[in-house]
Amino acid sequence: MSNSASAAAVAPSTSSSVSKAQTAYQSLSSIIPSIPAPSQNPAFSLLHDSEISSQVSAYLRQPDSGAGDDNLCRWLYDTFQTTDPDLQLVVIRFLPIVAGVYLCRVTLRKPLAGFEAVLLALYAHETASRAGNSLTVNVPDLSHPSVYHESKAPAKNNATDLNLAVISPSLEPHGTVRSTRRPRIVSVALELYYSKIWQMPAASKIEFCEFCEAWAGQDGEIYSEGENGDRTKEEKEKEKAGKEGRVPLPWELLQPVLRILGHCLMGTKKNEELFEAASSACRSLYARSLHDINPNAILATGSLLRLSKLAVIAEKEIDHTEIAMNTVISL
Amino acid sequence: MVDSGDQEGEHTSVRELCANGACMKTTEVEAKLDEGNIQEAESSLREGLSLNFEEARALLGRLEYQRGNVEGALRVFDGIDLQAAIQRLQPSVSEKPPSKKGRSRSDTQISVSQHAASLVLEAIYLKAKSLQKLGRLTDAANECKSVLDAVERIFQQGIPDVQVDNRLQETVSQAVELLPELWTQAGCYQDAISAYRRALLSQWNLDNDCCARIQKRFAVFLLHGGVDAGPPSLASQVDGSYVPKNNLEEAILLLMILMRKYHLGKIKWDPAVMEHLMFALSLCSQTSVLAKQLEEVMPGVFLRFDRWNALALCYSAVGQDDTALNLLRKSLHKHERPDDLMALLLAAKICSEDCHLAAEGVGYAQRVIRNVQGKDEHLKGVGLRILGLCLGKQAKVCSSDYERSRLQSEALKCLDGAIVFEHNNPDLIFDLGVQYAEQRNLTAAMRYAKQFIDATGGSLLKGWRLLALVLSAQQRFAEAEVVTDAALDETTKWEQGPILRLKAKLKIAQSLHTDAIETFRYLLALVQAQRKSFGPLRSLSQIEDDKVNEFEVWHGLANLYSSLSHWKDVEICLGKARELKKYSAEMLHTEGVMYEGRGQIQEALHAYLNALLVEPSNVTCKILVGALFAKMGPKGLPVARSLLSDALRLEPTNRKAWYYLGVVHRDDGRVADAADCFQAASMLEESDPVESFSSIV
Repeated sequence: MSNSASAAAVAPSTSSSVSKAQTAYQSLSSIIPSIPAPSQNPAFSLLHDSEISSQVSAYLRQPDSGAGDDNLCRWLYDTFQTTDPDLQLVVIRFLPIVAGVYLCRVTLRKPLAGFEAVLLALYAHETASRAGNSLTVNVPDLSHPSVYHESKAPAKNNATDLNLAVISPSLEPHGTVRSTRRPRIVSVALELYYSKIWQMPAASKIEFCEFCEAWAGQDGEIYSEGENGDRTKEEKEKEKAGKEGRVPLPWELLQPVLRILGHCLMGTKKNEELFEAASSACRSLYARSLHDINPNAILATGSLLRLSKLAVIAEKEIDHTEIAMNTVISL
Repeated sequence: MVDSGDQEGEHTSVRELCANGACMKTTEVEAKLDEGNIQEAESSLREGLSLNFEEARALLGRLEYQRGNVEGALRVFDGIDLQAAIQRLQPSVSEKPPSKKGRSRSDTQISVSQHAASLVLEAIYLKAKSLQKLGRLTDAANECKSVLDAVERIFQQGIPDVQVDNRLQETVSQAVELLPELWTQAGCYQDAISAYRRALLSQWNLDNDCCARIQKRFAVFLLHGGVDAGPPSLASQVDGSYVPKNNLEEAILLLMILMRKYHLGKIKWDPAVMEHLMFALSLCSQTSVLAKQLEEVMPGVFLRFDRWNALALCYSAVGQDDTALNLLRKSLHKHERPDDLMALLLAAKICSEDCHLAAEGVGYAQRVIRNVQGKDEHLKGVGLRILGLCLGKQAKVCSSDYERSRLQSEALKCLDGAIVFEHNNPDLIFDLGVQYAEQRNLTAAMRYAKQFIDATGGSLLKGWRLLALVLSAQQRFAEAEVVTDAALDETTKWEQGPILRLKAKLKIAQSLHTDAIETFRYLLALVQAQRKSFGPLRSLSQIEDDKVNEFEVWHGLANLYSSLSHWKDVEICLGKARELKKYSAEMLHTEGVMYEGRGQIQEALHAYLNALLVEPSNVTCKILVGALFAKMGPKGLPVARSLLSDALRLEPTNRKAWYYLGVVHRDDGRVADAADCFQAASMLEESDPVESFSSIV
């Protein structure tokens, strides 16, 4: 089903963007010499080639990655600064790993200027494209008529800002990552990721889900439907080891995280592996929100959890677009 | 897609083809089709059932489709020029809406054309379905779209809902429902969005269930598709009606409409709709709206304790903890679900924030700990932590010293126990730091404060503040200042207000008054800048949300001048502060100090008493009134003593209270008691922070 989408991605690229992509490819291969040779459309390969992604991912996960002199971080930064939309997608594709590794390492007092430069570039891009404005939602009130419904009682007062919700406050420019602004900068970068998420390969989203579990620092397995009593001790031990990396999850960071997870669970393209990864991340985050006793997070993660269970049931629903299969066909 | 097993069963069950009052068995036709002889099959149908070419093809196509032979069906349909058939069906320009005279004629005409239209449209629709099954999604979508385009061209006035042919309506509804799905599957998301809006904003005469399905799917697409839909086009907007301007708004609107349809009995309950709405609204932090939606749901849909618990979460998330706690008390009643861990945790947490509820919270937290078994064992640490917090809070309103120290040590025991389970939980580390600080175990408090800053990477301001306050309690003001400077480096200007005020207080504590005034001057400049950048017209709630709180700045400055006995300046600052907040115990307190400084004892007393009326548990004013009475001679001593004891009950570590109580004892001639009090006061003097520790939490 992804054929047509990928075909669309292959089609248009002007000569200048191809040459930019080729340059990006060459400089990447000078950092990671073992990446496969470029295809006709290097930007597309950089985004979708699983061999390239796994090598870049492995490099980014190295224990001493992300410092100020990290060449791969520099590459990500430079590639993003080309302002070529296709190449920017490539950088955004690796955001889950950059943000994931970064947040988990913050407390280790390691130099992380490389990761920070990439995150700040994404932050600055989003700030510019939004003109620093906040993202708001004017929560509808059914007593006012709308495009989708009529309302008998005409609205008496025009108190339209009654339920104005700010989903993402206005943005100010940041040249460095001040620690109290760290969650905000990461969350804005994730908002950018969410706005491009329909173009992201599943592998990138799966990586994101895995980091969500690490950030949550909780094993959510107990909230899954299946039997879990007969798991071996080894498995549990393994899981425990994997749960290192718990980070503070303020609501501002959790908001984009949950939107991304919602997409991974109920997005337009069905992908079993992604669904499993996202369900697992939801369970961990639900457990975490219980630990934090954060009512908003309990509501949001709880509903995602129940929706993921409903989605499994919904697959067996009848298809109403199918015609009635009669034994007698009449004109 | 339909389960293929089912389909297989259905395929074999096609037995007869009927038209024009005649019927024939399918076996013969099927045999011809299987041999690939479409034409022969077609001609035997035309003979047997007296059909024309198109009718025969349409029947054959459907037969093939039902048999599961979608490729065959496509071959059959390809033989018909469907576009030409549609052309023929379109009303010519001369054919105006029928006049009253020619009614009977035009009625038959409509039914004839409806029948013919139904045949053609069904053929195109089945072609689309066949293409879908072959995975040719864009082609399928284009075919399906042509069904809708044709309907719009044939029935320019909309489908007449009184006389509409059932089969025609069914095809139209199915095509309307299928089109956005096809575009979505094909990855053409913008086309899918237009198809959804076309389905919902044009008149297709859809039944409630079909419309609800489309609305729900569109809402899910908007919420989770990750594609920016943009607002609906201007053409669909009616004057004065609400137009959603982004995905979330449109999705929430659709989900709310679905909820209303359910309330009106038009559609069946769908749990997913409520869950999607819950997700969307909690994502926007609009849980009060969500609470209203939950309250509107008819009884019988949710178990009542589930609803109470969900409502409690909603209200607690918007700060209405009283309402939340009342709901939780209902759901935790022994006849409801007394052991629900989420409800117990939330109830305990709410109670842990109010000293008068803390005892109740202790009960909930103990129930959590009792009930965490098996799979819920991971919550044991949380239970212990909350129990510790409740006990610590309860200790604050204890009437006896013995009871207090017992509760305090238990609180610490619980928090220490919790850390075994939650060793990597920074919140718990912070709680321990505050608890130790409040009990004046400053070394331990310092250790936890540092640990908290490490664990959060310095991302939370309260960590910096705790460390600075602990240092100030140890009288290490210069070091505390270094901490505030580090904190200032890690914050942006709008968040620096509390840190700067703390810094000013540290300067005052070191008698660096000029520096303190300088800090306040910078704060006032920040206030000005804030006003400029956020505009002058702001609602009250926005002023309260201000990062740099102007009232606090003026009040702090007033306190500074008051410590310098610059009473004139104090008065000016208080005037400014009063413009922002009329009744404030802290401000009345400073005013009292000013009057007292000027020797206007009566006025000072009035101010203190007013402050106590505003905030009955204001310890500082209690002490100041007590001190005034203590100075009034023997008659005032009993009043003073009772006020000071009361203050000490609320804040046992208050040095001034101990000091004045000592004075009272001395003047009353109880020298030994006086000595004890003075000793307590002098010990505490060395561990007073510049701001109370509870101000951070």
